[in-house]
Amino acid sequence: MLARIAHELFWLGRDLTRAEHTARTLDGVFHADIAGAPGERSISLSWEAVLTIIGGKPPAPGEGAAGEETLGVVAIVEARPLGRDQTARLLTLDSGSQASIVSCVDRARERGRILRDVISTEMWEALNSFYLSLGRYDLAAAMRTGPYSVYHEVKERCALFWGLVDRTMLRDDGRAFLEAGGRIEQADMMLRMLLVTVPGASERDGHESEAIALLHAVGGAQAYRRAVRDAPTVGPVVRFLLYDGSYPGSVASSVAALRDALSDADAVPRTSPPVLRLERLIAELELQRRTPETGDALDAILGRVQGELALIDRDIGDRYFAIAVLAAVHL
Amino acid sequence: MSTVGDGALQDYEVPAGSRDELIDADGSPLPHATKLLAALERLGPERLEAAGRRRDTIFMQQGITFEVPTGDGERRDRAWPLDLVPRVLTAAEWTAIKRGLAQRIRALNAFVDDVYHAHEIVRAGIVPWSLVVSRPQFARPVHGVRPPGGVYCHVSGCDLVRGGDGRWRVLEDNVRTPSGISYVIENRLAMTRLMPELFEGQRIRAVDHYPSLLLDALRAVAPGVDGEATVVLWTPGPMNSAYFEHAFLARQMGIELVEAGDLVVRDAVCYMRTTSGLQRVHTIYRRLDDDFIDPLEFRPDSLLGVPGLVRAYRAGTVAIANAVGTGVADDKAVYHYVPEMIRFYLSEEPILENVPTYLLTDKRLREHVLGRLHELVIKPTSESGGKGVFIGPQADAAQRERQTRLIEELPERFIAQELVHLSTVPTEAGDGRLAPRHVDLRPFAVFGEEIRIVPGGLTRVALSPGSMIVNSSQGGGSKDTWVLDDGESGDLAPGTLPAQRPPRLPDVRYGGWHGQAQQQQQ
Repeated sequence: MLARIAHELFWLGRDLTRAEHTARTLDGVFHADIAGAPGERSISLSWEAVLTIIGGKPPAPGEGAAGEETLGVVAIVEARPLGRDQTARLLTLDSGSQASIVSCVDRARERGRILRDVISTEMWEALNSFYLSLGRYDLAAAMRTGPYSVYHEVKERCALFWGLVDRTMLRDDGRAFLEAGGRIEQADMMLRMLLVTVPGASERDGHESEAIALLHAVGGAQAYRRAVRDAPTVGPVVRFLLYDGSYPGSVASSVAALRDALSDADAVPRTSPPVLRLERLIAELELQRRTPETGDALDAILGRVQGELALIDRDIGDRYFAIAVLAAVHL
Repeated sequence: MSTVGDGALQDYEVPAGSRDELIDADGSPLPHATKLLAALERLGPERLEAAGRRRDTIFMQQGITFEVPTGDGERRDRAWPLDLVPRVLTAAEWTAIKRGLAQRIRALNAFVDDVYHAHEIVRAGIVPWSLVVSRPQFARPVHGVRPPGGVYCHVSGCDLVRGGDGRWRVLEDNVRTPSGISYVIENRLAMTRLMPELFEGQRIRAVDHYPSLLLDALRAVAPGVDGEATVVLWTPGPMNSAYFEHAFLARQMGIELVEAGDLVVRDAVCYMRTTSGLQRVHTIYRRLDDDFIDPLEFRPDSLLGVPGLVRAYRAGTVAIANAVGTGVADDKAVYHYVPEMIRFYLSEEPILENVPTYLLTDKRLREHVLGRLHELVIKPTSESGGKGVFIGPQADAAQRERQTRLIEELPERFIAQELVHLSTVPTEAGDGRLAPRHVDLRPFAVFGEEIRIVPGGLTRVALSPGSMIVNSSQGGGSKDTWVLDDGESGDLAPGTLPAQRPPRLPDVRYGGWHGQAQQQQQ
């Protein structure tokens, strides 16, 4: 598999997952914003938090302007908190902002165009009609009347794409890199979400409705109800989203799936730095799952896992894509 | 001039001087088109129009589009313009075309070999050497390099036209990187989905085996390998207007689509950069011109090239299709000599004629041409894609004046051709009605172990009334091209061919690079 193609596939997976997560988050926050009771909040699922989660993402390689763009967003937040409409618009249909759903889908479709010989025709058609449908939508009007339908469509289209991957794409290295991209993004988004929204240990009591809002924002409310007997308070919810291997959106599941994908793609996974690092992270998550919770250990764990994930991302780049990047420098 | 009764063919008038391929002079369908036209008649204009709308939606969704520049400098995707009325050729007609093309391609291939080796045709006084070396596509760096089997023109697409007398003529040869085959296959697929009624009761030859023909040919020319040869398709990149086709072919053949950055030459061996390090490449099907492939040998400013590639090619470690330097054979000034080449190399009479062409270097001919400028077509040599073409009957006095000055300045840069009144085919004219529109034909041939030609080819059609410009960038469309399977193919059954075929060029053994490796050792 060509290194350049692998790189494109990896980022195609990331872009699509990012679009889907953004849609889920915005949908959840909309809901919490309208239904939630005003007053003290333990999980700070607010519009500023959303901007920090999504807008503060590091840009994809080759997107020079992206850095400035996201920095710009943060600067605005600091100066004057944005309201619901502005934030939602910025992150949904602003094609100038690199973090918006529209830009993610644009990029994914461009990558799909480059990869037309690698992905199946049906996958390409799903991407292309996703892009065309967003272009056809009067997004601004849809946002005013109720963004539910927009977010719903984004989620559906992403699910369609991944379903087609399952049904039509050859199980080869290309598929493994596509999946790896999707998984690492998923883990990353979940961690960002938890880091921003989960308060310090001292204020972590009760607040059931807020924890439910968090579950909704990642699309895991029903799974939690069925898997965990406890009431959805902050502690159990966070542990569920971090450690529960049976929930496909949890950090532990994503990391395990990422390890599987990279082992498939690598001819010698036993010598692959990212795979080795992932093995250790998986073991650590398992250990933490079995350790009873003590005070503010959760914050430390979240930070450590995020740091590890950044290192894994760097290792993946070094091991699989660096050879293509070298060519670009050479030219 | 002819008119046909009622229905879809109401007021069907073939322009003077042209001949229609489906309707005869008194307005009734020709025998091979009766079934098709009856099916169209049953369908009626409304359903034809509705199918047209469905076609646009499907093509947009599948991304079968091409970019057209709009007025404000932006580029916009437009659905590929496929006309829903197919063009029909009989098996007998097709056999003649196929033989003519195979003959022509063999001659062109022999010419390329000759130009870079023995110069026999020059010694015989048929083609002047000064003309050959002055072609911009003449590639000095590959002098004396002979690829396996002596095949240079692995992929070719000649443009054919049919004049008012009903004879097929070659308008242009294209043995560099002809494009359009993906549209042939996509057109057929779309037609079977959109208009299944038209196919009823007809046997039409398939076109979708082209990718496997091509892959076989590319594998056949790979330099000696132990296992399976690695074949790649080299594209200039996603910004190229033919990128759709590059990706299409790579997908259909199941090979990697590479860009320049993916290829690297180490010690005269070509590799591609993969996730598990460098991997040897044996055959490159390249879709960019000679000028750009290697900055060390050709244009030094090319960013699309792979440094050292020509060195690897000369060393015989990598095959390039089409071979480097084939451009010299499809130059418009060299075109004039192709019938002579066929006589010289093959001792055969050309089956397909040239359009009468005049070289302007001869003073007497030049004066004759300048006097008839209002009737002729003037084309610059060494250009392609319809750039700089001057059409006499459509030019005004000022344009004629300017063209005369250009010719007198640099007569060797132009050729003059008689105007061919392109044949017409019924075409959907916007509201479901049928009207005659001018067409040409580009069949695609693949030359590996032998020459194979896909039945039919790309039919391009001028969509505005009376226009003879069929380029899709200038408002042209395309048609599905049917070759009927009516049992008169005249093909040899595979069983009747001898197991061992004689080599195509004297002293060239097929398969492998032995001959050349020995030459280099000497």
